Amino acid sequence: MDTIGRLRPVRRRRSLVFGLVAIGIVLCALGYWLQRRASEARMVRLWPVQLAHDPAMLSFAVSLARPVYASHCARCHGADLNGKRSIGAPNLADSVWLYGDGGIGDIETTILYGIRSGHPKAHNVTDMPAEGRTEQLSRAEVDDVVEFVLALSRQPHDDAASVRGRGLFYDKGNCFDCHARDALGNTDYGTPSLVGPGWLYGGDRQTLRQTIYNGRHGLCPAWIDQLTPAQIRALAAFLYVVSQPASRLAAR
Amino acid sequence: MNTSSPASNGDFFDPSKPVVRRSMAFSALGALIGLAIAGYGLFTAKGTQSHAVPPEDLALVNNRPILRSDFMTQVQTQFTVPFAQSTPAQRRRVLEDMLAEELQVQRGLEIDLPSFDPDVRTAMVAGVELEISADVLAQQPTDQQLRDYYAAHRTKYVSQGQLRLRDLVAKSGGAARTPEQATSDAQQAVAALRAAAPVEQVMQRYHLVDSGALLDAGHVDTGEVFEFAAKAKLGAEVYAAAATLQGGQVSDPIPQSDGVHVVDMVEHRMPVQEDYAVAANAVWTDFKNDAQTQVRDAEVRYLRSRADILLSSDARALEVLSP
Repeated sequence: MDTIGRLRPVRRRRSLVFGLVAIGIVLCALGYWLQRRASEARMVRLWPVQLAHDPAMLSFAVSLARPVYASHCARCHGADLNGKRSIGAPNLADSVWLYGDGGIGDIETTILYGIRSGHPKAHNVTDMPAEGRTEQLSRAEVDDVVEFVLALSRQPHDDAASVRGRGLFYDKGNCFDCHARDALGNTDYGTPSLVGPGWLYGGDRQTLRQTIYNGRHGLCPAWIDQLTPAQIRALAAFLYVVSQPASRLAAR
Repeated sequence: MNTSSPASNGDFFDPSKPVVRRSMAFSALGALIGLAIAGYGLFTAKGTQSHAVPPEDLALVNNRPILRSDFMTQVQTQFTVPFAQSTPAQRRRVLEDMLAEELQVQRGLEIDLPSFDPDVRTAMVAGVELEISADVLAQQPTDQQLRDYYAAHRTKYVSQGQLRLRDLVAKSGGAARTPEQATSDAQQAVAALRAAAPVEQVMQRYHLVDSGALLDAGHVDTGEVFEFAAKAKLGAEVYAAAATLQGGQVSDPIPQSDGVHVVDMVEHRMPVQEDYAVAANAVWTDFKNDAQTQVRDAEVRYLRSRADILLSSDARALEVLSP
């Protein structure tokens, strides 16, 4: 009886401590979860330009986005964000953007609805036509345009063919229509600059010939039904951050 | 040892003793947690009525969201300014427009617009087809796939042949000749034509007339017609006889309902098989169209399999629904 009587208060205290610790852990987890939810909601509610000027929130977005990028985007764009030319997946770490100006809002729209994804709101104004296969240009003319693009990107080229290619660029090929008269591309259509070096599929002679002859039809899926709004906003913020020149970001 | 003694306050935390107050407290705590979880699920699940606007939305119209990203895109598109530079007045205008649009769309569904407006139905069908064939449209076939497709469908890639011919007919029936007389005249005309007698002379001598089937076809100067046009205008049997003739040849008599026909082939440029390089563009288009058709048919089969379709007896007789 005495032994049991001595043990009782000890057991009682131990139960109390365990109970309080368990409740404390649950409350902490709940608090963390609620705080995180509140931060996510705040991040999504902010207008993109406000988010771009909120370092704490950008940092939170980046932490949220990294695992999402690894599980959903890295397969095409690469774990290092440098893209994959074999499938035309662009480099996301440079400051070159096909659609929009690279702001969080523009990036978010692309992630939400994709590019030629089949979603009615996807970027789908045009794609690179098969100039050779559709006989818009002959094989020789395709080669001339290739030389012109090589000249534009300051690569070794055939001068005479480049001059002929220039004529085709502005006339029969109608290339200027999408790639602009200065060949710097058009972010409304998603047409890339032809002066390099940010090539989607590659800027060497053979790849350019393949691109112009057979056309291209790159695509990005619509993530609106696969990721949460917070994950999409976080990804947009993350890509905005990693594509900013370091000096601008540091100044901010 | 007294197990039935009433519990004191100090026994609340002693798990070795049954305490009614402790049991009640834990039950109440469990009920409260359960209610909280259920309430959270109820008020935040997709599709449930909510009085709070989710962070990704700018507004809810009868619980249908207007996304912030759509709003920003609309502002930029409508006023051609970056969203950050848009004025509150511009944003208000766009929001009002989007609210009005959403209300009108919902009204359209409320009055079941798709059930009676052909334009809405057409738009919906086109939208659904585009959605189900999105992957096919996005897919770029490899050169090998296209070559395999070409090999499997070579007969599709044949250039159109061209014909120049006279379709003559020895009319029969009514006040004209009997069918036997017409056949006899046609046979003699065939023999004469094969003996290189002038066509006009043969026609006059054996009372043959031009059928007129090709009078509105072909080039006005040369009388040439494409194979498909000749097939459509001459009818299956006469065309079948003509298709095998070379220039300068004459068909056997072909009995038809209006009399007996004779085809005098002046010139026939036969269809030519196109090689892959020539047909590549058409192959690409056909490959895509076939893939799209397959996806569409599969989708329709799936929709039929899960639909409850009741047919009237006369509709069943039509057997419109293949199993």
